[in-house]
Amino acid sequence: MSILLSLNEATRSVNSGNNKVTLLNNINLQVKEGEFISLMGPSGSGKSTLLNCIGMLDNFNGGGYTFLGQPVHSMKEKKRSMLYKEYIGFVFQAYHLIDELTVFENIETPLLYKNVKSSERKALVADMLDRFNIVGKKDLFPEQLSGGQQQLVGIARALIGNPKLILADEPTGNLNSKQSTEIMELFSELNKEGVTIIQATHSEKNASYGSRIINLLDGEIVSE
Amino acid sequence: MLRNYFKIAWRNIMKHKMFSLINIIGLTIGLCTSFIIGLMIYYDFTFDNFHKDTDRIYRIVTDFDSSEGEFYNPGVSTALETAIEDNSSFEIVNGFYILRPFKVENKVNQTEFKWPSFVIYANASYFDMFKYKFLAGNENTILSNPNEVILTENRAKEYFPNLKPSEIIGKTLVYNDSLNINVTGVVENFKSRTDFVFEEFISHPTILQTRLRETFIERNWNSTNSNSQLFVKVKENDDLNKVKKELHELAEANTDEDSKKYGQTREFVLQPLRDIHFNEDYGIYDWEKGMASKVLLRNLVLVAIFLLLLGCINFINLNTAQATQRAKEIGIRKTLGSSRKQLIWQFMGETFILVLISAILSVVMTKWLIKVFSDFVPSDLEFSLLAEPLILLGIILLLVLVTFLSGFYPALVLSKFNTVSVLKNHLGIGDKKVGLRKFLTVFQFTIAQIFIIGTLLVGKQINFLLSKDMGFKTEAIVSVFSPRSEGELSKKEIYAQKLKSIPQIKSISLGGMPPASFNTNSSTTTLNNGNSEVQSDLQFIFGDTQYQKLFELELLAGRVYRNDTIQELVINEAALKAYGFSQPKEALGSMVDFGDRKVPIVGVMADFHQRSLRSDIKPMALVGDWYRKDFTQFRAVHIAFNNSSSEELKSTLNTIESLYKQVYTEVEDYRIEFMDESIAKFYDREKKVSKLLNWATGLSILISCLGLLGLVIYTTNRRIKEIGVRKVLGASILQINTLLCKEFLVLVAIAFVIAAPLAWYGINEWLQDFAFKTTMSFWVFLISGLSMIVFALLVISIKTLRAASVNPVSSLRSE
Repeated sequence: MSILLSLNEATRSVNSGNNKVTLLNNINLQVKEGEFISLMGPSGSGKSTLLNCIGMLDNFNGGGYTFLGQPVHSMKEKKRSMLYKEYIGFVFQAYHLIDELTVFENIETPLLYKNVKSSERKALVADMLDRFNIVGKKDLFPEQLSGGQQQLVGIARALIGNPKLILADEPTGNLNSKQSTEIMELFSELNKEGVTIIQATHSEKNASYGSRIINLLDGEIVSE
Repeated sequence: MLRNYFKIAWRNIMKHKMFSLINIIGLTIGLCTSFIIGLMIYYDFTFDNFHKDTDRIYRIVTDFDSSEGEFYNPGVSTALETAIEDNSSFEIVNGFYILRPFKVENKVNQTEFKWPSFVIYANASYFDMFKYKFLAGNENTILSNPNEVILTENRAKEYFPNLKPSEIIGKTLVYNDSLNINVTGVVENFKSRTDFVFEEFISHPTILQTRLRETFIERNWNSTNSNSQLFVKVKENDDLNKVKKELHELAEANTDEDSKKYGQTREFVLQPLRDIHFNEDYGIYDWEKGMASKVLLRNLVLVAIFLLLLGCINFINLNTAQATQRAKEIGIRKTLGSSRKQLIWQFMGETFILVLISAILSVVMTKWLIKVFSDFVPSDLEFSLLAEPLILLGIILLLVLVTFLSGFYPALVLSKFNTVSVLKNHLGIGDKKVGLRKFLTVFQFTIAQIFIIGTLLVGKQINFLLSKDMGFKTEAIVSVFSPRSEGELSKKEIYAQKLKSIPQIKSISLGGMPPASFNTNSSTTTLNNGNSEVQSDLQFIFGDTQYQKLFELELLAGRVYRNDTIQELVINEAALKAYGFSQPKEALGSMVDFGDRKVPIVGVMADFHQRSLRSDIKPMALVGDWYRKDFTQFRAVHIAFNNSSSEELKSTLNTIESLYKQVYTEVEDYRIEFMDESIAKFYDREKKVSKLLNWATGLSILISCLGLLGLVIYTTNRRIKEIGVRKVLGASILQINTLLCKEFLVLVAIAFVIAAPLAWYGINEWLQDFAFKTTMSFWVFLISGLSMIVFALLVISIKTLRAASVNPVSSLRSE
């Protein structure tokens, strides 16, 4: 299978006062298309930072990062934004839906930023609502939904742009066990359909859905 | 995409109703004032801009300069027209003379018109310069012969009702009983805004058949009458400085001996046509119409700008303060692929919606406010002016500008949020802008504070002006004026005689204007005081022997003249000083030289204010009716009342009026003036300033306080948890309230420190107009500072008290 992204000695550090704090240290990682990776490790081990950097919301400040054969580390902001708009979807622990928008509009938003035509947008969103069985909820606002339903909308929104890679940061962290199971089932179904997934999680059970587990400690990969 | 933005904008506006309301109120006030003031400026600056080659038309006016000061006359001596007629610099020389006939008759209909207004004697050049549309009559032979008249459509309708313009041509009107004049043309009245309000144009040569015959045969250089108007149209590309120089030389070459002797100079000045509407030195033709004052317009513009700024500041403050609440949305949008530019446009769009809502409200309010500000707004300024293309364009530009001013900075701040930290809940950008918000709040309150101090001090000065002792009796005195056309004394005497029968009347005096009035009548005099010959201007008030007693003018030495017509003078202290005497007694018996006669000083009276307290007390003399044989100076009957109730006063006034009607049966021209009201009229302008300031103050306090309220709501909400913890630890409501209020009151205090000297400076400048000024007391500043703090405290406490009394259990419950 072809390589989706690779990290080569990637490093991320910040300055906190006079001290330089290293968040990620010499990370070497290759992700192939179709993989389902679980990042594990205690709080502060660098899981979220790694996800953010892979998702190009944040940048490594050392080492190389190649995505689909293109060097992300030397790209301009605009190009990078084009890249992640096209290929990456995010799922957050706190769902991060826009409170002022309805379910339908939330799912629609990424398409707006990709300049998809109105009629096409409607069709795509309708398909997505159908697939997730939330057609009846399309005109509700996020606060009118349960946490599990909100996360469903979050995933639907991540998928609407048809991304190659989904980055999920503790996607079940705010959910009860029944809802968690549903969401994880969904992820593995998506993975079977060919979507690459990288999730950060604390739970061994959730991690077991993945095809590969990476353990992080203090910003370094300790085991695979 | 756009619809999505609008939807979000609308939902945001509805979600934060309080903030939206504050923003809308602030912007609406600012926009509304801007609209009205914009309309006024447009209205005033579009006067007489429709004439051909407006920029090349000038009125020649006369400026006099002497030791007494500068005087301005909108007319010129009649000789000037002849002197410049052939000057090659001018394309058109257009002289005309304003003269009201006392009667015009249409013999066919047997109708009579008394004192028609706006009648001028003009040449064809008048119609050359100002293009009228001819409804009837030959345009090629305009006013070429004596005894011809052109009427405007309006005037023609009055004189010849039911006749079409073409039917009026050739009809005859009789002027002043003897002049038969043919109508040779009817022109349309100007449809655009104009100060040229003339209705009747009689051919210029006809003037030789009026009482001005001598004037126009002689055409001398020395007398200047404001009715003698002279307009010129300068040739294209002609050197204006050359024209000015020529006019200067003409003025210099034709100065008379007396002026030279006393150092008086005269200057012929070119007044641009567009200046006529604004320059109060020279005035306009229709006195009843208001002139525009550039100073007033400038001040109004300042008020509009300040109010608009205050509205924008509210917007900036509230939106940056609220930024953290929007942060999440921004973070999400960025992860979903929004660029910063797109976010900025989104927020600008939201701002524009708010501005648009405010604008719509403002348009509605403008209609109503035009009435409220009727003192400032010209009476024929109409709401429909808003539909003029230029105004519409201006409004659109203004809306865009306001959107930019208020929206751009918040949009920059909001769109700058770092995605990762926002989503991790590491907020903080909103807090970093605290410094800016404080600065802007201080700015707002500084403006409000300046307005407050200004209002109080202007009010104090007006109060001072109205309550200052004028030096004569002003209460319970009325003056009844005789009809304007009445030149004889006999009827006044009959009237006065009849009035004597009313028991409530204490005393009656026949005389000219009351001691203080807008009128002046003066002569240049000289006096030899034993040491030297002194020249001084002397103003006159006219009255019979009772005048001094009725107005309770204090006599310092000597006596009042023996009878009403004897030539004797009672001078005031200012005249005493001007003539070089130190003691009142010294002046008695001295002869004042009027050039053609010498008149003895028989009495000296104490100074009193002859006009408003803006001007100094000038040398003045109380005199009798010297020229009674030719015409009488006594124009009014002054009446002093005994102390009586207002009921009684009312019936007395009724009797006074009915007696007047018994005496003057033919004309309806009853004019009565209360002395205290006339004095109040001196200060109409100050009252306008004061009204304007009241509004500006009220509105600026309102906007600033609303802004403050918004900020307080925001910060208090953020500190709910802190308040809860403090309460658990035992703080009282009062202590918490103090804690919350403190930081805002500091801002208000800083604003006061900045505002006080600025306001002091501004008012000090304004007071320079007055010869007599109130003191700028310390307590005025103290009161205004305190009142601002009280206002702010009230506003702040609305929110903080509620926040402080919340049960900590509910605020500390986590998520």
